[in-house]
Amino acid sequence: MTTKHQKLENISNTMETYLSFRLGREVFAASVHHVVNILELKPITKVPHAPEYMSGVINLRGQVLPVIDMRVKFGMTPTEPTVDTCIIVLNLEIEEEEVILGILVDAVSEVLELEGEQIEPSPSIGTKYKAEFIKGMWKKDETFIMLLNINLVFTRNELVVVEEKSSQAEVDEVKENEKTDE
Amino acid sequence: MEVFKQKFIEEATEQINDLEQALLQLDQNKEDLETIESIFRVMHSLKGGSAMFGFEKIDRFTHILENIYESIRSGEAKVTSDILDLTFQAVDHLRKLLDETPESEKLLEKENNKFIERIQKALDDKAVPEHTSLQDEKTEGKVKTYFVRFVPDEDIMHNGTNPLYLLEDLANLGNILIVPNVDNIPSFEKINPEKTYTSWNIFLSTNAGINAIVDVFIFVDDEARIETHKISDYNLLELEAVRNILKETLHKKPEIKPADIQELIIDLESVYHDKEVEDIQPDTRKKVEHSISSIRVGADKLDNLINWVSELVTIQAQLSLYSRENNNPGLAPIVEEIEKISRRLRDDVFSIRLIPIANMVTRFQRLVRELSNELGKEVLFETKGTETELDKNMIEMLIDPIMHIIRNSLDHGIEINAAGRTAAGKKPKGTITLNSYYSGTNVYIQIIDDGRGLDPQAIKQKAVEKGLIEEDAELTEKEAYDLIFSSGFSTAKEVTNVSGRGVGMDVVKRKIAELRGEVEMTSEKGKGTTVTIKLPLTLSIIDGLLVRIEKTKFVIPLSAVHKIYEFTHTEIEEAINNLFLADEKRVPFIYLRKVFNIEGAPPEIERIVNVEYQDTFMGLTVDEIIGEYQAVLKPLGQMYKGIDIISGATILGDGTVALVLDPNRVIFEFANNENLKV
Repeated sequence: MTTKHQKLENISNTMETYLSFRLGREVFAASVHHVVNILELKPITKVPHAPEYMSGVINLRGQVLPVIDMRVKFGMTPTEPTVDTCIIVLNLEIEEEEVILGILVDAVSEVLELEGEQIEPSPSIGTKYKAEFIKGMWKKDETFIMLLNINLVFTRNELVVVEEKSSQAEVDEVKENEKTDE
Repeated sequence: MEVFKQKFIEEATEQINDLEQALLQLDQNKEDLETIESIFRVMHSLKGGSAMFGFEKIDRFTHILENIYESIRSGEAKVTSDILDLTFQAVDHLRKLLDETPESEKLLEKENNKFIERIQKALDDKAVPEHTSLQDEKTEGKVKTYFVRFVPDEDIMHNGTNPLYLLEDLANLGNILIVPNVDNIPSFEKINPEKTYTSWNIFLSTNAGINAIVDVFIFVDDEARIETHKISDYNLLELEAVRNILKETLHKKPEIKPADIQELIIDLESVYHDKEVEDIQPDTRKKVEHSISSIRVGADKLDNLINWVSELVTIQAQLSLYSRENNNPGLAPIVEEIEKISRRLRDDVFSIRLIPIANMVTRFQRLVRELSNELGKEVLFETKGTETELDKNMIEMLIDPIMHIIRNSLDHGIEINAAGRTAAGKKPKGTITLNSYYSGTNVYIQIIDDGRGLDPQAIKQKAVEKGLIEEDAELTEKEAYDLIFSSGFSTAKEVTNVSGRGVGMDVVKRKIAELRGEVEMTSEKGKGTTVTIKLPLTLSIIDGLLVRIEKTKFVIPLSAVHKIYEFTHTEIEEAINNLFLADEKRVPFIYLRKVFNIEGAPPEIERIVNVEYQDTFMGLTVDEIIGEYQAVLKPLGQMYKGIDIISGATILGDGTVALVLDPNRVIFEFANNENLKV
């Protein structure tokens, strides 16, 4: 676990570009380095016995692409498809292997260009998400956008990335998810 | 030069493999002159090649090694186990030398010198020369007549080869008749003095054998077309009249086919028939075919080809779908034709990658030989059905698991000493058999030992100790054997350095499962143990049955499907004990909709696909049968690693994804599940 100070240093002062997306009412952003492309929602083939956050697989130009329901991964109810629902195709490095996967999000918002000093460290208390997954925060108008450490989000085999020592209601939700996946 | 070096390394690797193979043969029959001859030949060409491409160590090493076999060949020494051991080690050493890197150079130099010393020593105190009867046989070899067509490439002289020297070498072998073909020489002003325009038709009567002739051309293989044919069992060139006939014929028809010469000769031969009595001993030596019957292709090229064929099969499915939907009478027959062709293309392309299992057998023979020495057990290694073919990639991935199984059989299976075996009424020498065969669309490989066999009771006890099962668990024999494949299980009381180094049979099982294969053990106490590996024929395309449950489409491998039945949902719901009636027989079924947690209302009429499972049957319920489908198997990827009931996915004509079921895993997982009830 890095300290707040180190974390600040890790964020370089050069400009970096992020793609922001919405899950429920919250807005997250991932570095565009990882984004391959954005697809409209298409039929997803569910794989039996997979954990609930794994929505299934789709055909991406002849290859089979796993799709992950980010809402479930972040401890929310499963995605209900709307016209705004999108699949963001990401190119990640998981355990030193290149992995391409799609994430299901409620909506893709915008592309942000942020400079290092604009990014605030994420408060280690007060958010329900585990601090290691959040690279930092950026305040836009009145909302906070959480910048994700997207590689790490998928490296850990944990079901959801919510902090377990958060409010009781959420813990229950996590447990509920675990149960359905067994 | 680097390119040539690479080429040499490739060839040398093959030659070393051949050498190893030949040595194993020699180990079985230490006086087999033919094998000694071929060992010598391999060493000789290794020596020549390495000198040419600057592999100085290999050159020195093979030179000295060759001396041993030279003396054996000439009858001065005899093949002993010591010499064989030394040569086997030499083979390993040669492999190391080939892999030489600048970093390892110093070390190898040292090793090399040491090894050479050892060989020198072995040479000095070699067995008392002994003349074997076999030796004499060779020198008394009958004089036969061969036809050689030597067509050098135009540029043969660029590499410093003088074709005339080769002819001289040939002439030294016996009675020779050389007829040059000068038809291709251009007019004088067009002649390039650096090029060779002449080719030669040669008759040679010699007792040296066809291999000696082939040896002459060993270094110009790539620079010339050489055809060698035995045309007569007699010394044809003895008679001046015959010489003249041959000469004339070849002058007239320089491009004459060897078969035609043979026809011509049959008449001439009759002269000799009376003179000699037919030799009864058949010519065991393999006919050396010098015309091109195979070509070498890089494995990556084949992989590309297979990828393209896979793409083609996918696109063809799209086309078929389009044609069906649009009902165009002109299009339908064309699409059908394309479907047929792509199916054949698929089969042919996949068969290219198949190589016989014999390719990996050498390594197992080595293993058995060395291990049995180490353990002091006498063990015979037998193979059956090594012509069975498997995907090259699969063979490569199978070597380690099979090595491990053989190691186990030798270490734990075969009795500790011969006395133990005789006491059990068995031959003192143990046997391990590698048996492989096709069955349906699968390949089976069995490793059979005739050792002590397994004791299910002991296995159970061990598993209880290790906490793998409950004390009061009821196990069938088969379930007990299956325990051996669970992780953290090892029946050997002590850990020997042969088997049981931490990696167990669970790793073997996992590796085989990665190839979509299965492994199973059967055993009879006191009689022996059999490990059976079942593998799919190819890794990437399967013939399947496309079915649907709600919106999800599944592919069931056609090889497993026996028959399909139709039932109403009520019938299925009311079935007692989840049994359905398949042609008068009661067969259990698995309600897939339920076990896969697929939501939605079941249709009024459902289908049961009756699949074969380990000699019995099991039904799988689905909503609808869509039809037969060639599925190009795509991996589900890392994210779905833990899910083994699905062996992969495939892309359908409409662009959606269908999941390929592994019926065996599905049944294994759910057959004994209490929650089966619909």
